Amino acid sequence: MRILVGNLPYLLQGALVTLLLSIAVVVLGTLLGVALGIAATTRSRLARVLVAAYVFVLRGIPVLVVMFVGYYAFPAAGLRVSAYVAVGLAQIVYVAAFVAEIARSAILSVPEGQIAAARSLGMRRRAILRQVILPQATRIAVPPLLNSALTAVKQTSYASVVGVWELTYAAREIVERTLAAFQIFLGVMAIYFLICYPLSLAARWSERRFAFVH
Amino acid sequence: MDYAAQTALFLIAQFPKLFAGFLITLGIAAAAIPLALVLGLLLLAPRMSRNRIARGGAIGYVDLMRNTPLLVQIYLIYFGLPVLGFYPSEFTCGVVGIALQHGAFLVETYRAGIESISDRQWDAAKAIGMGRFKAFRVAILPQALVRILGPLGNQLIVLVKDTSLVSAIGVAELTMTGKVIIERSAASVEIFVAVALFYLVLTTILGALFRVAEYRMAERLG
Repeated sequence: MRILVGNLPYLLQGALVTLLLSIAVVVLGTLLGVALGIAATTRSRLARVLVAAYVFVLRGIPVLVVMFVGYYAFPAAGLRVSAYVAVGLAQIVYVAAFVAEIARSAILSVPEGQIAAARSLGMRRRAILRQVILPQATRIAVPPLLNSALTAVKQTSYASVVGVWELTYAAREIVERTLAAFQIFLGVMAIYFLICYPLSLAARWSERRFAFVH
Repeated sequence: MDYAAQTALFLIAQFPKLFAGFLITLGIAAAAIPLALVLGLLLLAPRMSRNRIARGGAIGYVDLMRNTPLLVQIYLIYFGLPVLGFYPSEFTCGVVGIALQHGAFLVETYRAGIESISDRQWDAAKAIGMGRFKAFRVAILPQALVRILGPLGNQLIVLVKDTSLVSAIGVAELTMTGKVIIERSAASVEIFVAVALFYLVLTTILGALFRVAEYRMAERLG
């Protein structure tokens, strides 16, 4: 335990980076994904096809590969950005693909009759989306969105493979120096658990809370 | 020669290396999938048991796996086992790590499928004189399997993508191969686009197989 306790401040610094990276990825990835999901339910055929292609391609490849693409794409384009930005953007783009699918199917699960009813009341398209569709779609989308956030938080650890310093990277540094694999990695798992478990509980709670709305 | 032609020639020249990596990726998946499927089944009995201790143990395991990153679990196995005097290969460590994590996800997939079958089906089977085991085998399981196939396919696609993490402990699978090629040549992002295509083909085929299986099975049940 002594090695874990001695290195705890260093690990907590890593945990802070993991937390900030997670918040950025989850918030921006969810916003981008919801926008794409809404676009996929509009009458524009081009938007539907483009979003479908985006979702199909990204869901079919590992997030680690997307991170590598992000890491090498900026220098290839002649741009200098920090690894945090490059890998963070890659994760945002990845998370957005999953969120887009969640948002799209949540919107489409609102019964057609309600839209017809709203239209017959004279509501405009924008008002129907905001006052009829989105409130109901949100209830359906919350549990899967929380699960996608949980996955996104765990995925931030993969950034360490590309060379981004965060909690998992810090842990590897310490283990390579001290060889105390069990103390450090179990300690790090405990830190991830503390971050992730509340999200898990929220997802489970919302599944019960929002089940059987119709 | 212009850039596009040069890139194409370079990628063609690298194809054998990438394909060799792809085969190792397939090997990891082929070893981890049966292990994860069986682990999920083994966990199913305690997970659905009426015994609180057995159920609590299974839930604790699932929660631990679900709420910690697979990468850290693989590191724990890879760096931890030598401390205990075991020296498994990197390949084995990766396969075991993936199976341990995905077994935990699969038990929940199985359970959700079984619990989605209405209690009335149990009652009906009992009413025509079936015992609990026969009712499960004849009435519940076939219906549950149809509902499990879709989520199971999705979970196995996640598993296949997770094999890329084994690159972190030095197995020369597809992702690692891409990284090595970049380090040894002037190429960069094109290689990972090629790597991504390999994964996309693999996951698309796997997804299509499961959709066909699901369709066939649903048709047979009528």
